[in-house]
Amino acid sequence: MQKPAKMMGLACLVAAFGLIGAVAGLWAEENPTSGTSPGPQQSPAASAALTLKVDQAHLDNGGQVIVSGQAPAGKPVMLEVWAAARVRSSFFDSKPDKDGVIPYKLYLTYEMPSFYRIVLPKDRQAALNEVKGQGKQWALGEALKKLGAEAAFQQPAQAAIEAYQASFLASVIGSRGDLLPKLDDKENRRRAMQLVKARFRSPGNIFAAGVESAPDGSFKAVIKIPEGSAPGDYFVAAVVDQATRSQPVKLDNAITFPTVYMSNAGTSINLFWPFLLSLAIGTFGVLMGAGGGFILNPLLVSIWPLPHTIVAGTVMPTVLFSQGSGIYNYSKIKFINWKLGVTMGLAMLVGGFIGPKLTELITLDQFKFVFGWILLVLAALMLWQTTPGYLAKNKKEQEVLKQCKLMAEQAAKARKGEAPKC
Amino acid sequence: MIVQFMGQEFKVNIVLGCLGAFLIAIVSSMFGFGGGPFMVPLMTVGLRLPMFVVVGSSLLAIFFNTLMGTMRHYQFGNFDLLLFVVMFPAAILGGYIAPQIAKRVSPLWVKRIAVVGLTILALNLLGVY
Repeated sequence: MQKPAKMMGLACLVAAFGLIGAVAGLWAEENPTSGTSPGPQQSPAASAALTLKVDQAHLDNGGQVIVSGQAPAGKPVMLEVWAAARVRSSFFDSKPDKDGVIPYKLYLTYEMPSFYRIVLPKDRQAALNEVKGQGKQWALGEALKKLGAEAAFQQPAQAAIEAYQASFLASVIGSRGDLLPKLDDKENRRRAMQLVKARFRSPGNIFAAGVESAPDGSFKAVIKIPEGSAPGDYFVAAVVDQATRSQPVKLDNAITFPTVYMSNAGTSINLFWPFLLSLAIGTFGVLMGAGGGFILNPLLVSIWPLPHTIVAGTVMPTVLFSQGSGIYNYSKIKFINWKLGVTMGLAMLVGGFIGPKLTELITLDQFKFVFGWILLVLAALMLWQTTPGYLAKNKKEQEVLKQCKLMAEQAAKARKGEAPKC
Repeated sequence: MIVQFMGQEFKVNIVLGCLGAFLIAIVSSMFGFGGGPFMVPLMTVGLRLPMFVVVGSSLLAIFFNTLMGTMRHYQFGNFDLLLFVVMFPAAILGGYIAPQIAKRVSPLWVKRIAVVGLTILALNLLGVY
């Protein structure tokens, strides 16, 4: 009896995923996959007066590279470092502009480098610390000005950015809104800064102060590619000013199993840890009677640099199977009221259509903030379920539940065709 | 709406039920969790239905949300196949392990631990510490 049940459950799952696949195929044009772009985008004019070399060109899951070179004497040198692997980044502009009008525009790029760093001259450490001291209110444009690094910011500014005019109505029907005309170069650069901030979050993830220059113009710096970075090619270019930029030097980063690169998330992770985490949380989740998603989602975004959109979208389907098999088992003993379930399910279908759209429109900080309150409500619910009054009522309810289930099972076994009574 | 279940009849305020389900679905699909712990109180307390009606039907309602939420997240590219492949078997395995442990632990204490754990995690997310 048990085996065919499992087979049917599996068949349901396969069918469910087939359906998802079909729908996804229909929408495929809206979802270009992020991947690697072919090589570096050429800088406008590589200057011969600026040379650059690295002590090693191969890295194994991150590491340090010593960069040295020669620049015109007396000029401060910066390094721009970026990965060929690209990821998605999005930013929703909902701040009132200078006329007090809220733009409600969504900016989206699929060409954000998965790793990006500007290495500043060492003497700008103090200015960098000031930027870091601004907390969450910092802006990349201001920071670049303050740090004198505007000339170094070049790669992300070349990423193609899509701009959408979002509206309330568009959000309700679950569209990103109208695609706006292509941004001009200046606007593209400005929006790229916001997207870089959205992706890398804090100044410490974008800037480092570490280029040491000698009076004769020779310079040296240590670049650290962190563990968990994307595999593939990395490029380093030295920059003095807008006109003086070296040819980029190529490095490559290799990762070995079980560390794998998650191309949509833009992070390499040792597979073992998320497995262990979801196993522990999943088990505890079933015990406490709430799906693991409540605990798993906030932990995933806190522990790894995973975007909250990817986390929400990836955790959700993991429960499809258990829900599907649960429904199948209940339906076998006619323990589901289809009228009630489907009616409420249709309301949930509409809600589920809108929700994922909203995930894109919030920042990670807002995600964490709202999630914090949701968890407090859940904790209050759980606390209520441990009060003596609830327990006494629940005990009775559970007994009735057990008895009804038993009768339903017997009725299903007897197959008399008549509806079971409770 | 009149709900007939196992020979009994229940009168249900379906407007309230659908509104609640709609709101729960938005939040849960937005943040990527199931929503069961909110649906069950909605149906038992809000709609005054007994537990034996709720268990199966709430699961069915939630399944609609999970399926649609999954498709929409996939449509927007908010899905990482590798991460899914890692977490999916872990979730299934957890579903088999939990009932084995459940016989040996008191559900009351599991709930109490959950309350403490959830509060700590919530305060962390809210930036209290």
